[in-house]
This record gives sequence, structure tokens and C-alpha cells, in this order.
Amino acid sequence: MDKNKLREGARNNIVTIMFIVLCAVCMVFSGYTPNYVLYELFSRLSRNMFIVLSLIIPIVAGMGINFAITIGAMAAQIACILVLEWGVSGFAGLSLAALLTVPLGGFFGFFIGKVLNKMKGQEMIGGLILGYFANGLYQLLCLFIFDNIIPINNPNLTIKGSKGIANTIDLSREDGFAGTLEKLWRLPVHQAALVFVAVIALILVISYVRSHRRNAKVLGIQLAVLVIVAAVAQLAPVKALFSMVQVPMATFGLVALLCLFNVVLMRTRLGQQFRAVGQNRTVANAAGINVDRVRVIAIMISTVFAGWGQLVFVQNMGSFQTYGAHEQVGLYAGAAILVGGASVMRATNTQALVGTVLFHLMFILAPAAGKNLFGDAAIGEYFRVFMCYGVIAVALVMHAWSENAKKKNPSSALRTNAKA
Amino acid sequence: MHKLKVTKMQVIASVLIAVLAVITGGLGLYGLNSRISQDGEALLENMRLQAILNTAGSGAVDAYVAAEKAAATAKAREAGGGMSAVREASAKAEEEALAKAAELGIGAVDLSSIDTAPLGDALGVLAAAQQVYFAEEAAAQAAYVEEHADEAEAVVEDDAAEAVSADDDGSDSMDMEIEEETVDLSGFVATEEMNRLAAEVDEAYLGLCEQLKVVFPALTDDVLTSLKATITGIVAQQGDTFESQYDRAYAASGLNPGLSGTIMRQGRTLALSAVGLLILAAAVLLYIPLVEKMGVPRLIIGLFFILLCLLAMILGLSLPTQLSNTLVRLGMNGVLVLAMLPGIQCGISLNLGLPIGIIGGLIGGLLCIELGMTGFTGLFFAIAVGLVISAVTGWLYGMLLNRLKGDEMSVTTYVGFSIVSLMCIAWLVLPFKSPVMKWPLGNGLRTTIGLQSAYKHVLNDFLSFKVLGITIPTGLLLFFALCCFLMWLFMRSKTGIAMSAAGANPRFASATGINVDKMRIIGTTLSTMLAAVGIIVYGQSYGFMQLYQAPRQMGFLAASAILIGGATTSRAKISHVIVGTFLFQGVLTLGMPVANALVPQSTISETLRILISNGIILYALTKSGGATRG
Repeated sequence: MDKNKLREGARNNIVTIMFIVLCAVCMVFSGYTPNYVLYELFSRLSRNMFIVLSLIIPIVAGMGINFAITIGAMAAQIACILVLEWGVSGFAGLSLAALLTVPLGGFFGFFIGKVLNKMKGQEMIGGLILGYFANGLYQLLCLFIFDNIIPINNPNLTIKGSKGIANTIDLSREDGFAGTLEKLWRLPVHQAALVFVAVIALILVISYVRSHRRNAKVLGIQLAVLVIVAAVAQLAPVKALFSMVQVPMATFGLVALLCLFNVVLMRTRLGQQFRAVGQNRTVANAAGINVDRVRVIAIMISTVFAGWGQLVFVQNMGSFQTYGAHEQVGLYAGAAILVGGASVMRATNTQALVGTVLFHLMFILAPAAGKNLFGDAAIGEYFRVFMCYGVIAVALVMHAWSENAKKKNPSSALRTNAKA
Repeated sequence: MHKLKVTKMQVIASVLIAVLAVITGGLGLYGLNSRISQDGEALLENMRLQAILNTAGSGAVDAYVAAEKAAATAKAREAGGGMSAVREASAKAEEEALAKAAELGIGAVDLSSIDTAPLGDALGVLAAAQQVYFAEEAAAQAAYVEEHADEAEAVVEDDAAEAVSADDDGSDSMDMEIEEETVDLSGFVATEEMNRLAAEVDEAYLGLCEQLKVVFPALTDDVLTSLKATITGIVAQQGDTFESQYDRAYAASGLNPGLSGTIMRQGRTLALSAVGLLILAAAVLLYIPLVEKMGVPRLIIGLFFILLCLLAMILGLSLPTQLSNTLVRLGMNGVLVLAMLPGIQCGISLNLGLPIGIIGGLIGGLLCIELGMTGFTGLFFAIAVGLVISAVTGWLYGMLLNRLKGDEMSVTTYVGFSIVSLMCIAWLVLPFKSPVMKWPLGNGLRTTIGLQSAYKHVLNDFLSFKVLGITIPTGLLLFFALCCFLMWLFMRSKTGIAMSAAGANPRFASATGINVDKMRIIGTTLSTMLAAVGIIVYGQSYGFMQLYQAPRQMGFLAASAILIGGATTSRAKISHVIVGTFLFQGVLTLGMPVANALVPQSTISETLRILISNGIILYALTKSGGATRG
């Protein structure tokens, strides 16, 4: 019995397990010290986690991986350009950009949702192509509308000797807002662990007090795990391992807030509607839920979050490629969440976080491992691109496979028929 | 005959547009007509005369001032002044002379106040001589270009190879441009005939000078010699049209040509706009049946294509060149687009996994270069190898797709993407030896491999001929037609009909005893094999084979072309392939030069490509169903 369960668990998480093995192999061959890898990993995690989390709600609402988050990223980049043009710098600039992203992302999300409602069952490919299409409109905006029809007065933003927005937008000048989140509050890992453990413990206790089923045993185990984590972080060898890492508390704090938001949202009425629509549109419709509206809301929320995620990313990087920074966002985020064990129908915060860790671990290690194994760093580079696409392809194939199996299985024929 | 469905608003709008068209057309025709009549000649001559008088006048002032200055300097020197005194005197003299020249009106002569007849005659002689000279020059240069065309081709190839290898970052943007092969004219030597005609021009210029001296006594020979280039430049240039002569004379004379002059200048623009407006009026009037027959996006793209053609003519771009390019591109991309057809018909929807077949074709091409085959042998060898490889991969791919019915499109996209990136590694490690293909330093194959040693342009040049200035790539078009014909035959065979039935209604088909899974595999395999052939044809026309990331987006381009032709995600015909490829490639080929003429140095045509190609796929997806709430 236990063995069966184990086998099933392994099958459901085959991608994750494969990735862990792969990362381990790459780690051995890369020749990097763990200290350096952890340092790289933390700096990548701080800028990439947020946007991966923005994928969860559309998955729950049954729309698959929202590859149209590239449009959210575009919204954030437009907001960045406008804020730089208005000359608002520092924390105020970042806040203003975040604020601007909300109407922009919401507006775009509304349209994405409307379009995707016309192609139910094809949301993923639709989202991908919508992203490409929007990229054309974005180029139109940046090359032919900004600086031509809408004047841009900040000379750092425009192409020298021509019209349009420059290829690279530098946020690290004094009028930019590079690294504002990171500069707010940095802690070494052992202290950061204490802070996070304390906050999580507090949340657990509060939810315990407010919950109807007071399961003291579970709470006890959870608290014990937290205490152990905090204690382990204080050990000398662990400290040495993380010696290069300075945790940007504000960035990870935002990630934690978003996780919390996802959890809380799922307990609200709207969250229940997402879930109902995701499980079966026909039934949800019969139950009086406005399916189209719920789906549009899911995409709008996702788009705005993706915009914020891109803001986190660009302010961390200090600059961004105007015409390229958004292009791969959907691919990387989608691959990351799938690596964590999510499917196109089911995703949780944990899967998103674990997936981001594994995915970026491989991103750091693959080129070096490729160089050491085959004598060519390019092989590692191509290998990681292959893994991105491959992971998504495998996840989609497995999903389609199980759906088809369900269709053939008469016991669930009713459900599928109702769906069609 | 059934009644046309027209609303009142449509009639009013189309009548208004038609009236506007008639007005502009009338004005345009009037302008064009008066251009060739006496009026046009007179206008041009008048303006040209004034322009030359202006130039000569300023020359006369210069000459007068120089003479005065020299006199003053000589005087000062005679008086025994130092350097500073001489300089002062010269500056003073210059000022005085300028004032005096203005006062005397040395440089300004009014056309009405003098007898222009002898001057006009001299000018006419010069213009005629120059026109003859330029005609001869153009002919001689054309002959030179013809002779040296091969060299230019080689140069372009080198350039392109360098340019492509420079950007090796695997970016998504594909270089769709076909580079113009321009011959370097620096080695061009004037012919005897040209020298003789040039002497005649010089003589005519001297005649003009005589007349100018009569008008401006202050003019000296030196000044006139230095003014020669300017004056002859105003009078005539190589490849002159009415517009260019007009613009030049207008800029140099500052004369107001009046309304009729402007109409003459814009005659062509007006006439062409009228044609466009008439088509628009017809489109507005027939909007409902047209939309029924073609669908909104195809109507828009069709009208857009016509607009681009008219714009190209208004902007004076060579329409035949653009149309030949379009024809080349039709043949070049046609087979790839045709590959979409069996996929759609057999029920796997748009086969965005086209790169899987493309890779088979690329391997065929690589083997052909490796084995040193050339010409048609090489081409057919590459096609044969490509067919074998893609038949195997296509069959496997079809088996995969049979297990995921209903989700094909997103899966095929990502399966295609991942295979393309897997092949990136393969291109790096495959043991090819030919120096044409390998990076001179480092590992692996080049990003772009020139095909001039293998089968470049063998189809394009086969039996190609020129008609009305349009080069017809006969071999290429014949090959495309052959592929279409074979596909047409197949679609009418028993298997083809069974395949279409399986795609249209799988349940009904299996009830009638058709093996739906088998039909889907046949369709997928055919699609993949055609993709292999398609990329080889594409390569032979383009002259290069693109490896690494290049095949990734090809599926999307082929899909958008067939959709523009009127296919849906579940139904397609051969006519959709041909019409769609022509329209899509036509818009792309015409769009680039037109956009560059309107907004110089812009990438707007690339943006246009992204918008059209993805917009049409989106449109097709929204039409593919799912509009219900359940």
C-alpha cells in the first residue's frame, strides 16, 4: 500500500525528481563552490520568484499556464518608462511604477481575458500568440508613438540620433530606482531565517485561533519544524555555507505576501469561484457563476502580478532591454512552475517556490557543467533552453495524455461529456 | 439573381467616396495631361530659367564683388600699407561691393523685364543635349551592370554571410530580406559615344553662357566654369521624371508655380489616389457579400495589399521589381505553407510542429554539402534525404499526436520548440567535416550556411525569363505548382478523401469504417515531409540554410499565410495556400520599401509582420470555437 503510494507520488512528480537529479549531476560537474552557487541562487530567486507566483491563479481557474504574462511585463516596462520620463526617482519612483502597473495591467488583462474567453480550451497557445501580437503593438508604441506622437523629454530614454525609445533603459542613474527594494533591509541568512520563522509562526497561530477545527497536533508539528529550521540556520557550518548571501528582506517579504494572498484568496468567495470554474465550467455555469467574468478576473489579477514581478526583476537588475526583457518571461516562469511539480490544472505556492529554486539552480549550473563535460559552454546554454521548452512540452503531453485516458475511461465519461 | 445586401449608409458612403474619387481622378488626369502638353513644358522651362538666372545672378554678384575686392586690395598695396591695412581695405571693399551689387541689381533680374527668348533657346539646346547624354549613360551603365552581375552576387553573398554570422545570439527575429544585388559602378568607364555626347553638352553650355553674359555683364568665364555643375544639375539628371525636374527647379527658383503647377506635380499621386478611392467605394458598397465570401481579416489584408501597391507607385518605387520579389517569395514559402494543408485536413489543426520536418530537410541539405553535390543532383539528393528522415519523424510525431487529441496545438508548439533547441546541441556536435559549414574556429556548424557551392537558385534560374520588367522564376513556380498538383491529386484519391473525412468528423468517419488514427498519422507525416521539402526550396531560393533557432518561428509564419488565404483551423484548400502565400508575402515584400520610404530607417515593416502574422492566427483561434460559456 505504502509502496503504491510512493510509486504514484514519484510518477506525479517525475519532472521534479528528474530535475533534482539533473541539478545534482550538474552541481558535481560544474566545479562551482556551494557558497558561490547559493549566492547566485539567492540573487536570482529574489528577482524571479514573484512573477512565477503570478501564474497560480489562472491555473486554478482552469486556464492553464498564462503565457500572456509577457503582456503584464510589458505593462510594467511602460510604467518604468513613464516614471523615468516624469523624473520620479528612488522609492517613490518604484511605488509610482507599481501603482501605474495596476491600471495598465488590469486594462491589458481585461482584453486578454476577453480574447481567451473566445478560445476556451486553447488558452495556452492563445496566450502565447497574444504575447507575440502584443509584442508587435508594444514595438509600435515604443518606436513610433513614444517620442513621436507623445514627446519624451528625458534624453536618456530615447535613441540617440533617431526617434523612439532606446534599446536599454538604465535604472541605475540617480533618476532611476535600481535596487530600491534590496537597499531597504538586508540580513544575513541566519537572521533572515529567524525573522521569517517568527512571521510564519505568528500566521500559523493566528489561523489556528481563528479556525473552526483546532488541530493542535498539526500546529505542533508545524511549529516544531519551524523551530528546527531556525535552529539549523544558526549552526556554524550552515552559516559558513551562506556566508556570501545577504537576504533582501523586502523582496522576499513581497514574495511571502503574495503567497499569503494566494492562500487567503482561495478561501474567499472569488477563490471558490476560480476553483469551481477550473474544475468544470459547465457545472460552475449551472451553479450560477458567471464563468466568463471569473476567468477575466483571474487573468487581470495574474497580469497585474506579472507586471509587479517584472518591476521587481528590473529594479533588481538595474536596467532592462526595452525590446527583449519581456519576451522570455512567460517561458521561464511557466517552465519554473512546472518543474516544481505543478501541472496545467493544479498549482500551489510550494510548487512555484520549489520550481523556481530548481529551475534557476539548473540555469546557474548548466553552462559550467556543459563546458566541463563537453568542452563547450554553448552546449550547456542550449541544453538549458532545451530544458525550458522540454519541461513545458512534457507537462503538456502528460496532461493531454491523462485527459485522453480519462475520456476513454467510461467511469468518468459523464464528466468529460459534460465538459465538451 | 439575388438582391445585393446593401444598407442606406453604405450607399451614401460609397457614393461620397466615389464622388471624391472622380474629383481627384479628374484633377489628376488634368494634371497628367497638361504635363505632356505645352503648359507643362512651359511651366518647367519657366521655372528652370528662373532657377538658372538665380544661380547665375549670385554668380554674377560673386564675380563683381571679387573684382571690386581685387581692385581695392591692389590699391591698398600700391599705397604701401601693411598686411592689416590690405586686409581691412579688402573687407571694406567687399561690404561696399555687396551693397552696391544689391543697389544696382546685378544679381537680380526679373524674367519679365528681359528678353528671354535667346536664353530660353540656349537652355533648350542644353537640356536636349543633356537628355541624350543621360540616356546613353543609362544604357551604357545597364550594359555594364549586366556584364558584372555575377560579381555583385558574390559580394552580396559575402556580406550576408558576414552579417548573419555577426548576430549569433539566436534571436527570434528572422532576416527575411532578400538583399538587392547592386553592381559597384566604380569600375565603369565612359564609352566613346558618351564622350562625344558630353562634348556636345559642353558646347551647348557654352552657348548658354554667352546668353547669360548678355543678361549679367558682371559674369566672368571662371565663375561660369565653376557654376557648370550646379547649372547642368538643375537642367537635367539621369533618370529624370517630371516630378524630379519639377522639384529641383522649384527648389532652386523659389518661383510659385500656382495651383495648376501643383496639380501637374501631384498628377500621378492624385490619379492613383482616385483608383484607390474607387476600390474603396466598391469595397464599401459590396461590404456584406465580400465579408461573407472572404471574412474580415482577408478583406482588410487584401485592401491593404492594394494600398501598398498604389503607395509603391506613388512613391515611385519600381513595382515590377517588388512584384518579382513577391513571386520569388511565393515559390520560396509556398511549399512550407502547403505543408499546413494535410495537417489541417487530417484533424490535427495547425501543425505548429513544422520545425520537426524542417530539421529533416536541413539535415538533407547538410549531407548534400558534405558530399559535395551540386546543382539539381544536390537539390534532389537533399530532398530525398529530407523526405526519408521526415517520414520517420513525422510518423513518430503522428503517433504522439494520436494520444493527445484535442490539445494538439499547444503541445505541437512546445514539442517543436524543444526539438529545435535539442537540435541546437546536435548542430554543435554532429561530425560534419566540410569547411563551408563549420566555424573556422571553435566547434560546430555555422549559424548560416551559404548554398552557392550546392544548389543555390537552381530552381529560381531554371527557365526564368523577364516579362514587362517582372522576372518570372519559372522553375521555382513550376516546382510549387507541381507540389500543389500532387497534393490536389492526393486529396481526391481514396485515402485523401478518407483523411479529410477523418479530420472533419472523426466519429462519423470511424463509424463508416475509416481508421481515424491511421489517417491522422498519414496527414501528420505528409505535413512533416512537405515541411522538409519546403525548407530545401526555401533555402535554394534564399541562398542560405539557417540552423539553430531559425526554424522555430517558421511554423507560425506558414500558419498565418494559410489562414490569410482563408483557411480555418479545421478546413483548408489548395487555393487558400496560394492566395494566402501571395497576399502575405506580397504585403511583406511591398511593406518594407514603402515603410522605409515613408519613415526612413525604421523597423516598422518588421513590426507589421509580427502584427499581421500573429493577428491572423489569433483571429482564427477565436473563430475555432469556445464562444459558449460552458
